[in-house]
Amino acid sequence: MNDNNTTASNRLLWKLLRKHVSAGQMTGFSVASLIGLVIVLLALQFYSDIRPLFSSDDSFMKQDYIVLTKTVSSLGSIVGASTEFSQNEIDELAGQPWVRKVGRFSTPQYRIYGSLTFGNRSLRTYLFYESVPDEFIDELPDDWGFDPDEGRVPIIVSRDYLALYNFGFAATRNMPKISENMVGMVPVQLMLSGNGRSRTVEGRIAGFSNRLNTIIVPDSFMQWSNGQFGSGEERLPSRLIVEVSSPGDKAITEYTTAHGYEIAGDKADSGKASYMLNLMTGIIVTIGGIISLLAFFVLILSINLLMQKNSRKLQDLLMLGYTPAQVSAPYVKMVLSVNSAVLVLACIVMLVCRSLYLPALSSLGITGGSVIVPIVAAIVIMGAITAGSVYAIRRKTLSMWRG
Amino acid sequence: MEIDKIEMHGVLPRVFSGRNDMKSEIWNREVTMERGRSYLVSAESGTGKSSLCSYLYGFRNDYSGRITFSNTDIATLNIMQWCELRSRHIAYLPQEMRLFPELTAMENVELKNRLTRFHSTGNIKQMFDRLGIADKSDQPVAQLSIGQQQRVAIIRALCQPFDFILLDEPVSHLDETNNRLAAALVTEEAKRQGAGIIATSVGNNVMITVDKEYKL
Repeated sequence: MNDNNTTASNRLLWKLLRKHVSAGQMTGFSVASLIGLVIVLLALQFYSDIRPLFSSDDSFMKQDYIVLTKTVSSLGSIVGASTEFSQNEIDELAGQPWVRKVGRFSTPQYRIYGSLTFGNRSLRTYLFYESVPDEFIDELPDDWGFDPDEGRVPIIVSRDYLALYNFGFAATRNMPKISENMVGMVPVQLMLSGNGRSRTVEGRIAGFSNRLNTIIVPDSFMQWSNGQFGSGEERLPSRLIVEVSSPGDKAITEYTTAHGYEIAGDKADSGKASYMLNLMTGIIVTIGGIISLLAFFVLILSINLLMQKNSRKLQDLLMLGYTPAQVSAPYVKMVLSVNSAVLVLACIVMLVCRSLYLPALSSLGITGGSVIVPIVAAIVIMGAITAGSVYAIRRKTLSMWRG
Repeated sequence: MEIDKIEMHGVLPRVFSGRNDMKSEIWNREVTMERGRSYLVSAESGTGKSSLCSYLYGFRNDYSGRITFSNTDIATLNIMQWCELRSRHIAYLPQEMRLFPELTAMENVELKNRLTRFHSTGNIKQMFDRLGIADKSDQPVAQLSIGQQQRVAIIRALCQPFDFILLDEPVSHLDETNNRLAAALVTEEAKRQGAGIIATSVGNNVMITVDKEYKL
């Protein structure tokens, strides 16, 4: 009975107060705020989806290290200049003040023939891999290491290889594209041979690196396999991994140029791209935010106008004993329902757009970032607009208290 | 907050401040009105009759002096307390009626009654019937004559519990018969609730038995 009464009285209130509600202004606000919100949502979503491509974050490798090689010049290769680092050179490097730790890339001293099989197609090739001491790997993938009895080798691969496979190989050979998530399930056979012996071990891709432009296996596996199939002689490394105290240090570039070393996998380019991505996202989010803000002003103006036009009625209702909250409830409800509808619509539009661009990105190995952050951002924006409008409605109602 | 008595201590509308030549029996005086009794405030135009009502109903406060409801200074009341007073303790019939022209007569009354949940629909219909406007209840107020509107407004004012009912020229547009009918309805309801009646008039007095008359 009471509920019926309340609904009926709400209906009467709305019948009274809906007069002067301007469909045009409400549509204007809805469209504007929808556009603003969709822009913000899409920019954030796209950013969140594409971020891994540009990220210099590497889940496996420590941040502050560089990889050094010797510059290969045509003259050098003719005269047979060594591309390997001698023990003296390594010691000198380790003595530099900006160096924390120097590690060697160990290389296999035997032949590796690898094959990748999925479905009934396979890809076979001679392979090359390296290892670095475990202490240079920041977060070790699960089951990193090697046990000769089990014979399973975890592998970290450069992310570029996946792109190369997906774009180049899979596309032309009609082979399926692989996502990062799927790749761990693809079996890799490694046939090791040398020293008159051979054996097949099973490999498993355990992770991707943006910064190491190579294939990495555990150091323990490298030592075991070199012992089994290698010639036994110690080889000098042609690549060094160096942990530095501050990667931006000028002294590093000066030292490496002076000695004819090259910093491999320099992320400067990716850093620029990443900076541009951040900047563009920032600009687009700002534009979307400004549109949302303008929409908010349209809403506030529209509500003020509406309430001004209905001010006599609002005052008369207050005179009857309706509280300011009861009197403003119909407008609060109107704003709430319009804004929720815009919010839901904006999320749907964003998800639809995303489903259109995501397949194009999947060949880059992108499976899509979280949708939580953009949606939370949209809820926060819409929440702020709603809170601001409700506050404006309440204030306007209170201003009518004293006729 | 139940109101047993309304007291005015030297109340004067600000627009009159500085005037010492006033012969009012209310402005600048000590006035007490008690629950259960009837008062008529007769006035000429421009003497502040509607101001008095608006002070007592809390939508204007441009006066000097003090007004108390059961010893509480009404200047200290907040919005929620006024809302409570307006729906539970003071009924008010404004001179200009303040009906909603786009709603029907019945909807106008229901708008108040749904807030207070005071009368049954049957009761309300009976009141329409008694004031002779039963056939008008479903017509938009805009289509009613001023006299009919006045009767709708009276019914609406009665749709709440009250300690005092404030009638600002309630019968200005009613003929003698309807004046008598309206007065009887108001008196009956006030008596039933043990409430006080404060009516104002510039000429056409509402036909109620008055305990005390003030010249404003």
